Amino acid sequence: MEKELRDKARELLESGQVGTVIGYEAGSAPFKCAPLYARTPEEAERLVWNPTCVNNLAVYLPQAVKQGPVAVVVKPCDAKSVVELLKENQVERDDVKTIVVPCPGVLNLDALADVDLSDVRSVEWTDDGIKVTTGSGEVSIPKEKAFLPKCLSCALGDPEIADIKLGEQPVRTPVVDSKMSVEEYEKLSPLERREFWAKHFAKCIRCYACRQACPGCYCKECFADKLGQMWVTRSTDPTTNWFFHMTRAMHLAGRCIGCGECERACPMGIPLSLLGKKLEMEVEDMFETRPGEDAEALPVLGSWKAEDPDPCPEE
Amino acid sequence: MESKVISKQDIAPWLKGLAEKYDVIAPVTEDGVTRFKPVDDPSAIDLGPTPAKSGIREHFTPETETLFDYKLEGLSAEVTPPEGIKKDRLIFGARACDAAALRYVDAVYSNVEPVDTPYFDRREHTAIVGLFCNKPSWTCFCTEVGDFMMNPINMDVYLTDLGEKYYAEALTPKGEELLGSSQFQPATGADKQAVEAHRESVQAKLPKPVDHAKASESYDWDDPIWQKLAEVCLGCGACSFLCPTCHCFDIMECAKGKKGSRFRCWDTCQFDKFTLMGHGHNPRPSRVERTRQRVFHKFKYSPERYGMLGCVGCGRCVAVCPVNIDIRKVIQEIESEDKVSA
Repeated sequence: MEKELRDKARELLESGQVGTVIGYEAGSAPFKCAPLYARTPEEAERLVWNPTCVNNLAVYLPQAVKQGPVAVVVKPCDAKSVVELLKENQVERDDVKTIVVPCPGVLNLDALADVDLSDVRSVEWTDDGIKVTTGSGEVSIPKEKAFLPKCLSCALGDPEIADIKLGEQPVRTPVVDSKMSVEEYEKLSPLERREFWAKHFAKCIRCYACRQACPGCYCKECFADKLGQMWVTRSTDPTTNWFFHMTRAMHLAGRCIGCGECERACPMGIPLSLLGKKLEMEVEDMFETRPGEDAEALPVLGSWKAEDPDPCPEE
Repeated sequence: MESKVISKQDIAPWLKGLAEKYDVIAPVTEDGVTRFKPVDDPSAIDLGPTPAKSGIREHFTPETETLFDYKLEGLSAEVTPPEGIKKDRLIFGARACDAAALRYVDAVYSNVEPVDTPYFDRREHTAIVGLFCNKPSWTCFCTEVGDFMMNPINMDVYLTDLGEKYYAEALTPKGEELLGSSQFQPATGADKQAVEAHRESVQAKLPKPVDHAKASESYDWDDPIWQKLAEVCLGCGACSFLCPTCHCFDIMECAKGKKGSRFRCWDTCQFDKFTLMGHGHNPRPSRVERTRQRVFHKFKYSPERYGMLGCVGCGRCVAVCPVNIDIRKVIQEIESEDKVSA
């Protein structure tokens, strides 16, 4: 698979179809990868595709396409971000080519908690999870433990925007219902929900890693950074943290495609993807539409239809 | 000062005995994340992961700190400064990197008059009981940038885990006082030898020292690496906010009508508005300038200005970066043979 990926990237660069292929390369440890902007055939040789490739590279697109057409390596989940960026005119269709890789699931670093990280040599896929090779042998980890939660509930096939398909997506057997984490959350009363978020937001240090990692957060000036009209100070007290996160969640309602990068980037372990998932379900209930599926559609909260639900009573 | 030992099961009674004089702050794990928090019950302490997620920094330079409250009355204002530390604190389980980092922040915060009184108030009223790292993380490189793991600074007591017990060394008069508690027994010659052998074996697995201060004299302002990093860096504050030597803050106000408070909160040179000036100019307008700034500040400007590196090798920035920007690799690349001028 890596050979096909590198060959394809080289071809795209040599033919001049794109100036840059954004993909993954080996990271500073065998269980990490790093984003790569490959602009020459030599650089394309560094591209990798393995379980460590967790990042959603679509986050780089709005900036990257300013230099010309770009190809981007995407998993089926990441490809949904590309749909949203197209829908919102942050990227022109002619400026992006998606290279869709077949994805069995990507690594949850927690799975390596019992492994001596300094001793890891490689992380590879197996038929039912991953194999971690260390200096002292091999460890097989089943997918329930090895993969991120979003992978366990993944039912995605070929994405809508798939310019180059490097293989068929594996047949998916979701072991977890994607709505399950929200189901547990929905059992909480409103007061319990408030306590749930208050406890988590108390940990927030306002590093904005969640926002910066999110392909949907591309505003040139975030509401949270405005100094002229200060909507929110940078005090990390629970109320101010709450305001930041809930406002960001609302700004992403109907646009968040559930890549989970916010939660992965958060240094404090705040379950941010739950917010996105919950609002995604609310939007689906109300507007019968899901983000990331139709690049031609209008943004759901950025457009109005006569059939939109009206919660206000007739009188 | 005489070395002592304490059985692990005596740690909780020892800390409980100190509760009258000290508020104890120690690592506690919640939802899989370990942070230093005030603890009443020593059994909640988790000394496991190295290093703890956010270190001890927030107990000296809090994320948010009220500088003063005010009330306007006509043309004058009644200003109320915050209360100082009321009770001494004892930080238990601090790592050598985090304690060493305080030396740098001390230097910055006392560099010019007036010195940072709230910070030094906290420094003066805090005892630190450190812990030798038995299991450095894959990101640890303190030995590359200093020798404080073997020769700690800014600690009152240094504990080394010997299995059933801790070897305890007092490094200050305050530390001696702490080790005067009945739970401590004199260490034997065998204990001392075991500690030395153990420390040597841990150190042997860690990186060798590198004179980064010297190497930084030839850092290239125009190295192509800054462009590459700028493309990959997301511009979040995770690296700086978890860094024990980072100390920058912004000052803001929270006001309503005639009353308000002025506070400071953590800031980072990685945010785009960090150097945005009132007249609109920003000398670090892109991530090229900002990623370069982080490296130059830690490894070049700090030695030039304060005679010490601004990095203690705790590795948190490496662990937390969502895009695997590894500062060890960055400085290795900019210091490589063919880049250093003759």
